[in-house]
Amino acid sequence: MISSLPTLAEPQHFLLPEKLLFVVLAAGSGLLFWRRLGPILRKILASKKDADLRLFPLGKRAWDFFWEVLCQAKVIRQRPLPGLAHAFVFWGFCAFALVTLNHCAVGLGFGFLDPIGWFGRFYFYLAAAFAVACAAGILGLFVRRFLVRPRWLGEKLSWESGFIALLIFLLMATYLTAFFVVDTSATARLLWWSHTITLLIFLPIIPHTKHLHLVLSPVTIFLSRGSFSQIPPLVGDEDFGLVTGADLTRLVSLQAYSCVECGRCTEHCPAANTGKTLNPKEIILGLRSYLNEYGPASSEPLLGKYNSQEAVFQCTTCGACEFQCPVGIEHLPILIGLRRGAVNTGAWEDDHGAKLFLALERGSNALGMSATDRDKFIQKQELPYFNGSQEYCLWLGCMGGYDPKGREIVADFVRVMKYLGTSYGVLRKEKCTGDPVRRLGNDLVYQQLAESNLEAMAQAKVKKVVSICPHCVRTIQEDWKEYGTPPEIEHHSEFLARHLSQLPTVQSQEKIVYHDPCYLGRYRNVYEEPRAAVRASGHLVEAPRSGERSFCCGAGGGLAFLGEEKGERVSHVRTAELVETGAGTIGTACPFCNTMFRDALASKGTGAPQLLDVAQLIARNLPGAAPDSANVG
Amino acid sequence: MSGVWVVLEERNGRIARMSWEALAAGHTLGAQLSLPVNAILPGAQTDSMAAEIATKAVAKVVRIEHALLAGYTSDAFTLALEQFIRTEQPDYLVFPHTYQVRDFAPALAARFGQVLIGDVTGIGAGPVFVRQLMQGRLNGEYSHSGSGTCFVSVQSGAFRGYQAESAAATIEIFEPKIEQAQIRTKPSQPFRGSAQTVDLGSAQFIVSVGRGIKEAENLGIVQELATALGAELAASRPICDNGWLPIERQVGSSGQTVSPKLYLAVGISGAIQHLVGMRGSQCVVAINKDPDAPIFEIADYGIVGDLFEVVPALTEAVETAKH
Amino acid sequence: MKIIVAIKQVPERDAQVHVDSTSKWIEEGDMQWALNESDAYALEEALQLKEKHGGEVVVVSTGPERVGSTIREALAKGADRAIHVDCDDLNQRDALGVARLLSKAIGTESPDLTLTGLQSDDLGYGQTGVILAELLGLPHASLILHVEKTEAGLIVKRELEEGWFQTIELPLPAVLTIQSGGNKLRYATLMGIKKAKTKEIRRVTSQELGSVAPPVVVLERISAPQKQKSTQLLGGSPKEAATALVEKLKFEARVI
Repeated sequence: MISSLPTLAEPQHFLLPEKLLFVVLAAGSGLLFWRRLGPILRKILASKKDADLRLFPLGKRAWDFFWEVLCQAKVIRQRPLPGLAHAFVFWGFCAFALVTLNHCAVGLGFGFLDPIGWFGRFYFYLAAAFAVACAAGILGLFVRRFLVRPRWLGEKLSWESGFIALLIFLLMATYLTAFFVVDTSATARLLWWSHTITLLIFLPIIPHTKHLHLVLSPVTIFLSRGSFSQIPPLVGDEDFGLVTGADLTRLVSLQAYSCVECGRCTEHCPAANTGKTLNPKEIILGLRSYLNEYGPASSEPLLGKYNSQEAVFQCTTCGACEFQCPVGIEHLPILIGLRRGAVNTGAWEDDHGAKLFLALERGSNALGMSATDRDKFIQKQELPYFNGSQEYCLWLGCMGGYDPKGREIVADFVRVMKYLGTSYGVLRKEKCTGDPVRRLGNDLVYQQLAESNLEAMAQAKVKKVVSICPHCVRTIQEDWKEYGTPPEIEHHSEFLARHLSQLPTVQSQEKIVYHDPCYLGRYRNVYEEPRAAVRASGHLVEAPRSGERSFCCGAGGGLAFLGEEKGERVSHVRTAELVETGAGTIGTACPFCNTMFRDALASKGTGAPQLLDVAQLIARNLPGAAPDSANVG
Repeated sequence: MSGVWVVLEERNGRIARMSWEALAAGHTLGAQLSLPVNAILPGAQTDSMAAEIATKAVAKVVRIEHALLAGYTSDAFTLALEQFIRTEQPDYLVFPHTYQVRDFAPALAARFGQVLIGDVTGIGAGPVFVRQLMQGRLNGEYSHSGSGTCFVSVQSGAFRGYQAESAAATIEIFEPKIEQAQIRTKPSQPFRGSAQTVDLGSAQFIVSVGRGIKEAENLGIVQELATALGAELAASRPICDNGWLPIERQVGSSGQTVSPKLYLAVGISGAIQHLVGMRGSQCVVAINKDPDAPIFEIADYGIVGDLFEVVPALTEAVETAKH
Repeated sequence: MKIIVAIKQVPERDAQVHVDSTSKWIEEGDMQWALNESDAYALEEALQLKEKHGGEVVVVSTGPERVGSTIREALAKGADRAIHVDCDDLNQRDALGVARLLSKAIGTESPDLTLTGLQSDDLGYGQTGVILAELLGLPHASLILHVEKTEAGLIVKRELEEGWFQTIELPLPAVLTIQSGGNKLRYATLMGIKKAKTKEIRRVTSQELGSVAPPVVVLERISAPQKQKSTQLLGGSPKEAATALVEKLKFEARVI
């Protein structure tokens, strides 16, 4: 029965002139391919070496490669339908590897896969199945790009994408058609040459377009830094961040050339979605254009022709871009690197930014308040000081120590800890962890704060820390590593989740919509614990964009301390989304999110949902009189 | 040595309030040390003012009279007083701690190898002169050693303006020698800050309004208070967002940062975004209906009440106190 | 223009101050130090003048070894070089003594313009600049917010009481004391700090500058004020509260 199924026609007996023609064309195509790829590779290799890139351990790299490249996991997961279509195209390419090799060999008379033999049949049928899927996929993607036209793909129609789609379709079509002709027919020969010409046209196009990702992105994914928002340390006395082309490292150059212009980063960017200049895709493509025009050794400023300082300082560092990217581009180190270049050299002139830096140069907190304010709060709440004997050091942070609402959250969390009998203490002196200045790129102030705090914690013999602020948690746990060994730290929602069985829960139908903070969700992978706390106090409702897709509140990246934003306020957009869920309560786990939403709700007037941190949701279930939380001060 | 001499300052043809306070300080010192208290008035054509001073229980009034003293310059005033001091050799020379005095008195004292004990808030037995250190967090007691004139200036409001009246004392005239060429600085006429642009950052007095004001029409009563105090009008963000006041008047984290001597927060709750903009104010007064409003935590003085009643009452009280 | 800026290292604004065992000064053990606030504005003014007119900005500071960090901060912000007058007994000198030390240190420099901050955050005398002008025999102006160079010298904007201002013309060389708030301060940058490492700090000891007469004004004792600063709520009818408030503002807070 099998033998009656059609087999792939492999033309035989190519004449010498034909073979020569083939070789010449192939060489020409290869030359054109290399003429374009060569310089790109040279530019990447000519870029500065990455000081912090460690190839080993290979385990994670191999896994990422397998999962993200071979399984196309990110591609499919973040945009299911188009992602699957693309996956089919990719798998088609992979499956065709042998086919293509054999095809070329046939042209030279050395065909090694016998289409009649059992392996040949099996393989060619397998490839055919992939070809069908691939053709269907490419057709679907074509329709999406040219008929549906989602705005992430950009305003202009990309004819180059259309042409390539045509080429791929042709490749599949010529392959499949070859099953229905006879080896020796002229049609078979025609099909062979069509397929070949298509291939040879396709090859040089690859490095000239975003299809360069075919070559580069597997490497990019394999070589990525390894953890989310990994900011490289500055090296030596002349390194101030990304100022000119000479500062671009190999990894950054590689990533710039790997961009497929899919626009997933822009789709989820809070700045791009609220009318700001910042567009993450354009930042990366801007670097690519820079490298194309000036090359890596140039002293032209990176923030100049292709990228603007204004755009770079509109980033909230929410990480949605880096999180989404299917080709392994790490936007955060790039954006922060560009900011460093502007701030560490004093090129960034911003009144609010200067005020923040000066406040932290001279004082202890980002708000410019006197440290005695925090002392007063500690005394009023009768919080014990950390003396080395308690289990936890409770880190107040700038918001927990100075902001009235942040203080309420601390007070409620303290009630919970008291109820559980957990021992804790607060430090006598706290300086800001340095998160806002770290994200804004001021390494001078950041270093001073990190080192000062690390020393204070070491002296106080702090082992475990718990904090209500995801920014503090992230900065202490990860960023401080650059200057020492930080103590263990967890977010209070993680603490609460662990102790839920010992805490009273309330079965309630009160709808609580939980907002994932960027620095707790995407940065720390903590999604379930705060939800457990919410469920213990009411009925959990999800916002349309939640979990990994959570839409930023707008405060991150130091933006909470900068001036008015252009366009729509990010916080207002997110608040509207949360309010629309119809929930009567918005649950937060970050004092910055809390403050941003409070501001936005205030302009809504009466009827606005109430705003409660997860600590407050748990604390309100505790027995005993509810504290006059407004009198916390 | 001839006792305590108080240097009074004229402003726009009148003796400024701080000068009367300096006179009171002079009397305190004189009483403590049993020394006569005299008054000096540098200037030009100061007869009527001198006559007023003469009724304030001083032993003698000296008008240091010269055409070049009509407007203040540090060179002229320093030269004039230097010559007077060499003649009269006071034990104590007491000044009000005004901007003008700060500009020349240290130089004057240095000419005699002396140091001004400035911005004094109290005089104790000894005498010791008390002044504030570390922005008011500590007090320091200073003493003067050696012979030679002791130069002192007193802080505004530290001593209540002298009230006692007396029969007129003698008025003398002292004419210093001052040449135009000796005056090296040329000051202009004083002017107000530009009317067009709002410069909250350098305002000394600010009345700030928040959502408690409820409607734009009600801003009038707050404006009246601001005018009475010679203050700039400012607001928290919601007011500017609504367009009731221009954005330049917004105080807060995304607006202006201010550090006036007096910040009056009317109907402002005290959210952190606002607090960080005015935390540097020397004296904060809060008027709010809500006794739990966070603004009271950082206020030096507070009135819990209906601003629509308190603010007009305050305007009236300020007007009364001016006269 | 050659501009000298006299800067002082003072306790950090936020610092908790405790009277030491002698009751003559504060405990310095745990102290964090910073550049005096109005001196930062003086430095900013100098740097802006240099950016406009060229020249050199030299900072001078007296004090023990620890003032080095504040000097480096000034160099990082853009000053070209520094003079450190090494002096351990600053607290035993009165304002005249300190000014004499400064005038000797900058004596050979012959600057066009000397700037000081209006007053220090710790002692707050506000006299050093004015005395310095006297000792150097130069014209001066105080409470300056803005400086402009002209053909003949300078035009400066001076702050007066109650929201008034005036301009003053004066020739160079001159001395100015700078009020806070006139300019926007620049922040210290990493690049600035790195560059500062190569800038000259000339060290001279107070002994080398010659002996100084004993102080005529002596700080005998320091103490904490009795009143604890807390919110005073004024009650009664609106009229009563208003009257009480004005009373307090006039005589207790002394702001109106």
